[in-house]
Amino acid sequence: MEIKQHPILEKTLQDDIYFYFNDKKMKAKKGQTVAGALMANGILEFGRSRKLNQARGLYCGVGRCMSCYVTINNQYHIISCTTLLEEGMKVYSNNSDPKVGRDVIEN
Amino acid sequence: MKTDVLVVGAGPAGIKAALTADRAGADVILIDESVFLGGQLRSQTQYFSNLPKNIDSGLGIEIYNELENQLNNSNITVFTNHTMVGSFKNGNIGVSNGEKVLEIQSKKNILAPGAQEEALIFPGWTLPGVMTAGAAQILVNREFVRPGNEAIMVGSNIFALEVALLLQQCGVSVKAIIEEQLNIQCKDTSKLGEIGNIPIFTSSRIKAARGRGKVEQVIIETPNGENELYVDLICVANGFRPILEPFEILNCEFTYKKGLGGWIPKYDNRFLTGNPNCYVAGNAAGITDLGPILLTGEIAAWNALGEIGLVSSIVVDKKIKNLWVELSRLEDEYVFKERLNLINNTSAIKY
Ligand SMILES: Cc1cc2nc3c(=O)[nH]c(=O)nc-3n(C[C@H](O)[C@H](O)[C@H](O)COP(=O)(O)OP(=O)(O)OC[C@H]3O[C@@H](n4cnc5c(N)ncnc54)[C@H](O)[C@@H]3O)c2cc1C
Ligand code: FES
Repeated sequence: MEIKQHPILEKTLQDDIYFYFNDKKMKAKKGQTVAGALMANGILEFGRSRKLNQARGLYCGVGRCMSCYVTINNQYHIISCTTLLEEGMKVYSNNSDPKVGRDVIEN
Repeated sequence: MKTDVLVVGAGPAGIKAALTADRAGADVILIDESVFLGGQLRSQTQYFSNLPKNIDSGLGIEIYNELENQLNNSNITVFTNHTMVGSFKNGNIGVSNGEKVLEIQSKKNILAPGAQEEALIFPGWTLPGVMTAGAAQILVNREFVRPGNEAIMVGSNIFALEVALLLQQCGVSVKAIIEEQLNIQCKDTSKLGEIGNIPIFTSSRIKAARGRGKVEQVIIETPNGENELYVDLICVANGFRPILEPFEILNCEFTYKKGLGGWIPKYDNRFLTGNPNCYVAGNAAGITDLGPILLTGEIAAWNALGEIGLVSSIVVDKKIKNLWVELSRLEDEYVFKERLNLINNTSAIKY
């Protein structure tokens, strides 16, 4: 889904960068957000809604609708459309309620 | 942290306000919650020509680049990735990057948080592949990602047509434009020419979107019956609405003005809100075009400078008068009328 030749902009993103989505290694471009990188890899379903268990993905692209939550480097509910991708990032789907409360009790 | 002027939101309005204050010798802090500066202007590849005198015509992104250039050559302190999250009892503003909260003590605040897109609700509206037209524009112009292969656009305002066109240029097949109203909303006939052979269905709406884990099919209701289309992208251009949270935090008053995008903070002819330390600029002061957006930033900044005492009231009055004349020239007639309407009802506020 990557645009190699843009109809208007001459400069596209150049440098490759690698990350993991649900433990699968993927390639993206430096300068993309996490949401952009997922979409570039053809992934539309970022996670599932916690109550109705429905697929969720990018909706507004500007950090306002919270539809694009993912877990990054063990932090839950990160807004993927406003977070810049970093080399080696470990991104996971948010599929249910975070275990935050339980983690605190267990520790 | 102390400053003369705090500007919240580094879109075109906020940047213009910050630059104006900086050039007049004020200490300025400019914050934005995004990692990118420029707000929505940064993702715009349309050509803009209806601009204030001191700004060259160009693509949105080129106009942004010029503003960024000027920012880099200024004394403005810029914090990206910082959101205005609250205010302290003493009136100071709390700004956070998610880890720490900075307390900013400013003499005047200019809030320019911009606008957000209106969602559209129909069965299946939360399926991945349904997104706002703005999101599709961001994917193409900033992320260099094609959001789908076969699409429909919901809405026929100028923004809808521009994004439909952009998608087509990127190889997305736009199968239909759906408009609920009787007529196509875009007044610019040249845009309609560019759209070419994309079918436009007026008096039509989405009945439902379906698919497993993503959009695969959309059913549209037209006056001639139902239509099933196989698409993987549904773009929604349902209009813009001012962002209000920062004004709520600062206890500003609100009013409803349909022609300005709905609920907006009340303000007077100085762009001063119901909070005597808080000005408003940009699309948060009413949905309008880039030229007027830049002018509102300038007007707010000159008034703040005058209030702080950095510029004499004679100079401020002269600047403001000229800027209002330019605003009346550049702004859509109906929007400008609504703005005057709002201001005339608000000027009674005295501090
Ligand atoms: C997704 C989208 C696409 C758009 N596309 C177009 C288009 O193609 N053509 C067009 O003419 N108009 C478009 N618009 C309308 C847009 O509002 C204007 O074009 C213009 O960018 C508005 O300028 P502004 O400075 O008022 O706000 P913006 O450009 O929106 O900038 C506001 C800035 O404030 C920041 N902000 C908001 N709240 C806070 C807070 N609490 N703390 C810190 N920072 C904050 C935001 O991150 C943003 O950078 C679009 C709007 C959206 C939302
Ligand atoms: S897509 Fe709306 S917050 Fe990310």
